[in-house]
Amino acid sequence: MNIKLNNRDPVYLQIVRYFKEQIAIGKLEPGEEIPSRRELANRMKVNPNTAQRAYKEMEEQGLIYTERNLPSKITTDQAILGKVREELLVEAVDTFVASVRSINVPVEELLDLVKVKYTSKDEDKEA
Amino acid sequence: MKNYIKLANFEINRVSKLFTVLLGITLIVQIVGVIVEARKYLNMANEKMYEEMMSIAEFLEMFNQMSFIQVVRSVWFLGPIALCIAGVAFYIFLIWYRDWFGRNTFVYRLLMLPTSRLTIFFAKITTIMVMTLGFVAFQLILLPIELLIFKGMVPSDFRNDMGVREVVSSMPEISIIIPGSLLELILYYGAGLLAVSILFTGILFERSFKWKGIFAAVLYGAVAVVLFISPLLLQEFVVDHFFYPLELFLLEIVMGLIIFAGSIWTSGFLLKKKITV
Amino acid sequence: MIEVKEVEKKFGRKKILKGVSFTANKGEITCLIGINGVGKTTILNAIMALTPIHKGQILIDGEPLKENTFEKITFIPDAITMLPQMTIAESMEFMHDFYASWNQERATELLSFFKLKPNDRIASLSKGNSAKVNLLLGLALDVDYVLMDEPFSGIDMFSREEIANVFTSHLIENRGVIITTHEVGDIEHLIDKVVLLDDGMVTKEFNAEEARENEGKSVIDVMREVYVR
Repeated sequence: MNIKLNNRDPVYLQIVRYFKEQIAIGKLEPGEEIPSRRELANRMKVNPNTAQRAYKEMEEQGLIYTERNLPSKITTDQAILGKVREELLVEAVDTFVASVRSINVPVEELLDLVKVKYTSKDEDKEA
Repeated sequence: MKNYIKLANFEINRVSKLFTVLLGITLIVQIVGVIVEARKYLNMANEKMYEEMMSIAEFLEMFNQMSFIQVVRSVWFLGPIALCIAGVAFYIFLIWYRDWFGRNTFVYRLLMLPTSRLTIFFAKITTIMVMTLGFVAFQLILLPIELLIFKGMVPSDFRNDMGVREVVSSMPEISIIIPGSLLELILYYGAGLLAVSILFTGILFERSFKWKGIFAAVLYGAVAVVLFISPLLLQEFVVDHFFYPLELFLLEIVMGLIIFAGSIWTSGFLLKKKITV
Repeated sequence: MIEVKEVEKKFGRKKILKGVSFTANKGEITCLIGINGVGKTTILNAIMALTPIHKGQILIDGEPLKENTFEKITFIPDAITMLPQMTIAESMEFMHDFYASWNQERATELLSFFKLKPNDRIASLSKGNSAKVNLLLGLALDVDYVLMDEPFSGIDMFSREEIANVFTSHLIENRGVIITTHEVGDIEHLIDKVVLLDDGMVTKEFNAEEARENEGKSVIDVMREVYVR
């Protein structure tokens, strides 16, 4: 559980986001058990109340569910899981677009470059 | 009560090293003293009899038999007693101050015990009393042993035998420490306890108010002393020997008890409300 | 809840606390921060009746401190409170003797949590280890409130890590904790509530997570606003 927390965003939202990322890349699978609140607090070095709040938030968003007295699990609801992926993607693209807009490139040129970079990155990784 | 016993036991353990060292010094120095003093006398007797050809009778007439009092009056005997008294006097202060100073501030622990803070006061005053009575008891055990050594060294013609009781009563300084009767014991040590309680209160004034506290402590001590002798002053200067000695004596006891209670109350108040770590 | 209300305290003529008020809740970690000088330790001492206050009131669960309050609240000062000649085991024995709230099982657990050797003498401990013994003796009491004075200051990095682990563990869970510090960097994510002290007064009392959520400010951002003017 490797998480780099920043000091300005609410810690509980950073935790929620971390779970979303893990779900999106498949590190956490639907129905998988997640650590207890206390264990999470301990591993992430955060206040147990904050961990508690993060779990509450994830429960409200339907990302995790808890059957009485059992460890919480990642949801198996495909609609929610799909939304997580989409949400992260849109968010990442939004950030990218916002920063790239200031350079004022034609969209075709940008997309070509994105294509080249994105695939070469993949090859780099495989190599 | 349980906490008081535990804490008193703990405090006594803390002083046990100093206590043992002082007992050891007393044991060694006094016994060496008996031997040295007896030797000195016997050497002198030898000298006189063999070199100056005195007879035993002539020698005894001139120099008297040796009595144990000679040992008792020597620095060998009184020195260790003075040292033990100094040790107790010193420890009356150290028993408090050692908790505040040094790397380890034990006073935090003591003040945070889930028990009345007066327990600390009682445990410490008990330790001082136990220490004092311990020295006295040890001296009482040591005396017959020293008398025995003395007898073993000095031939019966040359010595004037004395019992422990005679030795003790022969010197007023010693008979204060080891009183002849139970009443005296209670009175002397009661007065000692009273004095320690006043000193403790003074120390707690200092610990509570620092420099101003020293002033308060001196004032408290002075008031206590004046109160204590007030019946005597009254007798002498105001009522012109109105009281019988026994009445005066009882008045003194009542005064002592009042001051003792006052010291306990004041110490309790300071420990609870004014003390600072 | 620990309530500190309008507490004033003088050292000689100098006022160190000029009407300090704040509260610390059970189940939360409250951090008293002051970047300079005295005051923080004095507040903890005052809560424990280890130093008198001149004005104001301190309540623990609505009541002023009494003898048996020490079974409910404990203070871990920055210096060790046991005698140098005692061993760790003897120190634990001492606590066991006097406190009904002493939890031997938890004490043993803490001993191995901190990797301490029971037969080591207090005098021989490193700064880090004596801080851990201090923590052990406080945390092994089943008390509702724990006050800690600068638990992270002056000790090595790895001991700091171990001590930080305490704050995210069950050893702290459900207790009310007040810690003092002059440096918040390491523990920013561990604390619930922040009480900023300046010049003998509370300049700001806030929830760290709320400051991040509502104002997008880190604890240090808020501190900068208060202290750097």
